[in-house]
Amino acid sequence: MSPNQPASLGAAAAKPISEPVQLNWQRMNVIGGLLVIIGILGFIAGLATGNTQRVWLTWLVCWLFFMSIAQGGVIVSVAFYLVQGRWAGSLQYKLAQSFWLFLPLGVILFAGVAIGRDYIFPWIAHPAKDKEGWLNAPFLISRDWIAIIILTFMSWLMVRWSRQPQAIAWQRDSHTIEMPPRGLRRLSPAVGIVYCIVFSLLAFDLIMSLSPQWRSTLFGWWFFETAFWVSIAAMALGLVLMARILPPGNSFTVPELRHDCGKMVFAFSIFWIYLSFAQYIVIWYGDIPVETFFILVRFWHHPWMFMSWLSVFFIWVIPFFFLMGVRPKKSLLILGGVAVLGLIGVWDLYYIMIVPSLSPNYLPFGWVELCILAGFLGAFLLTSVPGLKLVAEEAIVLGPSVYQTHGFIGEDV
Amino acid sequence: MSAQTQLVASFRTDEECAEAIELLNREHIQDFRAFSPIMSVPIIEASRAAHQASKSYVRFWVLFGGITGVLTAIAVTIGTSWEWNLNAGGRPIASIPPYIIIMFELMILIGGLSGVTGFFFHSRMPVFEPDPAYRTRFGADHFGLVLRCDEALASKMDSLLREAGAEEIVREAA
Repeated sequence: MSPNQPASLGAAAAKPISEPVQLNWQRMNVIGGLLVIIGILGFIAGLATGNTQRVWLTWLVCWLFFMSIAQGGVIVSVAFYLVQGRWAGSLQYKLAQSFWLFLPLGVILFAGVAIGRDYIFPWIAHPAKDKEGWLNAPFLISRDWIAIIILTFMSWLMVRWSRQPQAIAWQRDSHTIEMPPRGLRRLSPAVGIVYCIVFSLLAFDLIMSLSPQWRSTLFGWWFFETAFWVSIAAMALGLVLMARILPPGNSFTVPELRHDCGKMVFAFSIFWIYLSFAQYIVIWYGDIPVETFFILVRFWHHPWMFMSWLSVFFIWVIPFFFLMGVRPKKSLLILGGVAVLGLIGVWDLYYIMIVPSLSPNYLPFGWVELCILAGFLGAFLLTSVPGLKLVAEEAIVLGPSVYQTHGFIGEDV
Repeated sequence: MSAQTQLVASFRTDEECAEAIELLNREHIQDFRAFSPIMSVPIIEASRAAHQASKSYVRFWVLFGGITGVLTAIAVTIGTSWEWNLNAGGRPIASIPPYIIIMFELMILIGGLSGVTGFFFHSRMPVFEPDPAYRTRFGADHFGLVLRCDEALASKMDSLLREAGAEEIVREAA
């Protein structure tokens, strides 16, 4: 450790902003590493104690959850390019893309889904009638793997081009009406469209196919919107934590930045419930048993009822009522709290979308699930460190001046 | 009470007009009206600061309208269901899920209409007779500022407006 390097992030916060700050990310790496070890031990113990199905189902839940955050973040940056949002300059792009490094790891971790396929997909043991052409393991695994490899490659290109000087200069110059650099201008919509297709495919293949007789045409849309929202919640949490951890005067201490992030959490939470209700009302009207059972098992039957309503509560009810005003959006405590609950809510949501399909009458939640979750969380933290480092450096260097107003009158939303 | 006079000042730019408003505010003169051919943020911000404008009351109109809309929808949907008492597909007579859509739509509709009504009410619109101080150039390439003050203060205000960059100032009886 260099003499200038503080012992912890907390110590860094005490240093005057004028001095070059070198944050110590070692602690985050150590925590991430420990969580990975817990995950590996839990994984081995789970398999050794005969909890094979629980292990692989939780693997799938966690894989989808962390891929959603990482990929959703890249898509948030795509959305920024498409609407030419530059209110926080290059900082908002770096924050959105800070989790992207989990994507290549996710491509590798998809091997778990392939290995545990016999325990995940019920249609392997009991082939779904008339659907064998689509629901067969080699075809499903290969098409999904190819899809996420393509999307990961495009995301990598997106991040790489976003960090080029020309792109950064455009991101920081919000007082012009210049379009983004040509490459990003063309790549952004392409990544957005491929994301919608790939995440719809993942939703149909990895979630809906676990109940092969169930169908909802809106499910893919609903899933990629959920992934988009959970990445915004992760961004909000990252923003809140950095506002606390980084030295005083960093960019995240600007209340308007939190206000903007809070508005996104609020707005897309409402969009999420809108899509959820849109699916529900069609199923309710149709009242066809092959459609209604999926909802009934989760929202009206024990042991799943509580967890299902909890996810709705965490993803929509709490953000809606707590982030309605301006001041709560600017509050570190409230925005951070809503973001944490939102993240828990989405993990819970993925869990109740997947597990009841194979275990309708029993809720398998215990040390196996927690260990696997810890392992994935550790891997996610480790892969997020480089991206978050860039964000932290930028927030310290640019300071409060990063927030760029455009002469609009103060907003009251 | 001394006689009142009215000064009509025209400015080339909105920044000059906004600066004049700020100078007036420093002299505690808040009885003014500004005319602008465009939506000018500097003028609006300066006027808001001068009048110490609080948040608009229109939001309460929207809230009231929204709540009225939801309650109306509840009354209409559940009321008519009970009145007709028709069983459709074995569902309860008053089936809430589809009614949520009606409740949402009427909330938005009546909330929006109520908000527009509130906006007109608080803006004192529509205006059928143009303000006597209005000049056609205030709708083209000039920004106008009309203020009332005591006759005794008029000269001071005149020089203050010129200091801010007023191109022309006309004195009129208030």
